[in-house]
Amino acid sequence: MPRLGWLGRYLWGGWASATGIFCLFALWQFGSEVYGGFVLPTPLRTFAEIATIVQGPVFRDVAAQTCMRTFLGFALAAGLGGLAGAVAGYSVAAMRLLKPVVAVILSVPQISWIILVMIWFGATGTTPVITVTVAALPISFAGALEGVATRDRSLDAMARVYGVGPLRRFATITVPHLLSYLFPAWTITAGTAWKVAVMAELLANAGGIGGELATARTMFDIPQVTAWTVIVATFALITDYGILHPLRESLESWRRAGQPRDAAP
Amino acid sequence: MKLSLEGIGHGFLGRPLLEDVSLILNDGEIVSLVGPSGCGKTTLLAIAVGLIDPLRGRVRRLYNRHAMVFQEPRLLPWLSARDNIAYGLVPRGLSRLRCRDVAAAKARAVGLGQMDWNKYPAELSGGMRQRVAIARALAVQPDIMYLDEPFSSLDVGLKRILQDLVVRMAREEGFSGLFVTHDLVEAVRVADRIAVLSSRHRGIVEVRTVPGRPGERDERMVFDLVERWSRDAVFAELFDGEGRCL
Repeated sequence: MPRLGWLGRYLWGGWASATGIFCLFALWQFGSEVYGGFVLPTPLRTFAEIATIVQGPVFRDVAAQTCMRTFLGFALAAGLGGLAGAVAGYSVAAMRLLKPVVAVILSVPQISWIILVMIWFGATGTTPVITVTVAALPISFAGALEGVATRDRSLDAMARVYGVGPLRRFATITVPHLLSYLFPAWTITAGTAWKVAVMAELLANAGGIGGELATARTMFDIPQVTAWTVIVATFALITDYGILHPLRESLESWRRAGQPRDAAP
Repeated sequence: MKLSLEGIGHGFLGRPLLEDVSLILNDGEIVSLVGPSGCGKTTLLAIAVGLIDPLRGRVRRLYNRHAMVFQEPRLLPWLSARDNIAYGLVPRGLSRLRCRDVAAAKARAVGLGQMDWNKYPAELSGGMRQRVAIARALAVQPDIMYLDEPFSSLDVGLKRILQDLVVRMAREEGFSGLFVTHDLVEAVRVADRIAVLSSRHRGIVEVRTVPGRPGERDERMVFDLVERWSRDAVFAELFDGEGRCL
């Protein structure tokens, strides 16, 4: 029952978000009226194009390809980054070693990674996956590191007094605390993953949505470009609000306890 | 005998804090450790419970199980009151159902109404949280309960209620208690014996037996005794502002 109440509030909160998005559409319409439909197709024209694309023969394969690559890259970045970050959080020596490495990785432009990985792996599906992993990994790493480093040591001492073993302590004390650092990091990781995946596909000529965008560019088909852009943005939003947010809510329901009832989701 | 500290010496960063401290805790007895802040009360307790290994001396624990109530409740924010109470039972390998039963019984024993059982710590008042912490300690059926200034942030009325609760529980369940406090009134109310720690002497300067039994002393007697002892040289450091290490 409380879960149902949460769903109700979550969906109701969607109205406010929808209002914001429609304001954006209004601005978009205004821009296309000022600059002309060729430079910036109207939202309606774009949605018509989306409808054509979605019903077209290639959409399923192309979208599935990009989704798969994004998901793989995200999973690798979240997994490896999270693991390395957690280890670094526990060991000061590991933290000293890994922090500068991650800082360097973070400061390398994503475009350089794409070119390098393209040279190493060729124009295949591996390029977007590796690029996504490398681009998104530092964020997960930083989140996990911060989470483990700021764990509540007094709770750990309490658990030790009661004879709770190290694995149990990790699961019951460190992990719930860690999650509150990992979820914001994963939100950014997921957003980066979509953008970088499409960019890598376009530059590496590796098919997927990026490949479609490349074709649209050569044909100078602007409605195609805006349509695919909206599709990618929608996928990113679904990942965030459809998967990560509800997951976080269900794992961190305790966080809402003691807060005012009408706190926005 | 439940616990014996023999010639304990400890310090931090080369600064000695405790030197040659010995103390014995007998069956069913509550001993208060009093002393000014910074004199090593909490450190001595942490050594007794095994959180810190002393640099010198020996700790003999002649019991099976202990529990501890800290100065702060130290509840897991992501567990309900009831699951927090059951937390100490986790290593015991009891069934989930059994844990919940024990937790419910202890919650009732410390005066936690059924409507509060599923609340998270953030939804409970300070006093309620400390009650949950006491229930968690009771749930493991300890042979010794260690208490580290557990009521120092509560108001006077609530302090007394919870002091009486701990004393009653110790009597009913037969556990011993080592009760750290800086409040002489509290020490006199709950303890059979009082060990006075001094920061100048880096150890226990005297162990006094309090007349009567804990929980049965009337308020007048407690007040008079504290009044008399407050002029005593042994307790001078507790009331004295000078020569403190802050």
